[in-house]
Amino acid sequence: MKLVAQLLNEMRTAGIIADYALFGAVAQMRYTEPVATLDADVLVAVPAPDRLDVLAPLYQFCITRGYNPEGDAVRVGAWPVQFIPTFSRLTGEALARADTADFEGVPLRVVRADYLAVIALSVGRAKDFTRILALLESGSVGVDRIAELAAQHGLADAWQRFRTRFLND
Amino acid sequence: MTDMRELFERQAAWQASRRDLSWPEKVRMAEAIRESVIRLRNMRSIDSGSDRAE
Repeated sequence: MKLVAQLLNEMRTAGIIADYALFGAVAQMRYTEPVATLDADVLVAVPAPDRLDVLAPLYQFCITRGYNPEGDAVRVGAWPVQFIPTFSRLTGEALARADTADFEGVPLRVVRADYLAVIALSVGRAKDFTRILALLESGSVGVDRIAELAAQHGLADAWQRFRTRFLND
Repeated sequence: MTDMRELFERQAAWQASRRDLSWPEKVRMAEAIRESVIRLRNMRSIDSGSDRAE
């Protein structure tokens, strides 16, 4: 993951991406116990988001650094890395407000627990609901903060359904 | 029932102890889990006669 951090920082310095932040399971692990995951998901903001081949410059940059595409991802050391351009106001805000953590001496931007929870709520698969419960259990985010953020992004009904189904209230 | 409760309490304590590890340590654990998951998936695809992993 240190290699991933170094690559992402190089991409940002080179202007290939405007910003990045880890999200998904690898980001979740900053707050919870370890979980099984096959790849590392990275939210990216790109300088020209309207291009059809929006990820082509990223892939090209990776190849020049010796990291080759592998399916929908790019293999960086032990990890297949999936680059995902921000796809909603919520993910854009999550990226803009991401924390910069220290990963073995390398800065690594990572989505905050509250945004991870509400992104999971917006996706709504079983594993996303599990993620919300794990984040709540860890104490890294509370129900009031999720409710507030969900309401700001049109997810108040989804949050209420989640509470009724999983939190017994 | 008491035994079961103790088992759950020990499991909860173990999970909490994993949560308190550093993020890099947890990511290293996930890397180890990941390799095992891939191997299991490959074994399953061989058993089912498929020639490619998911």
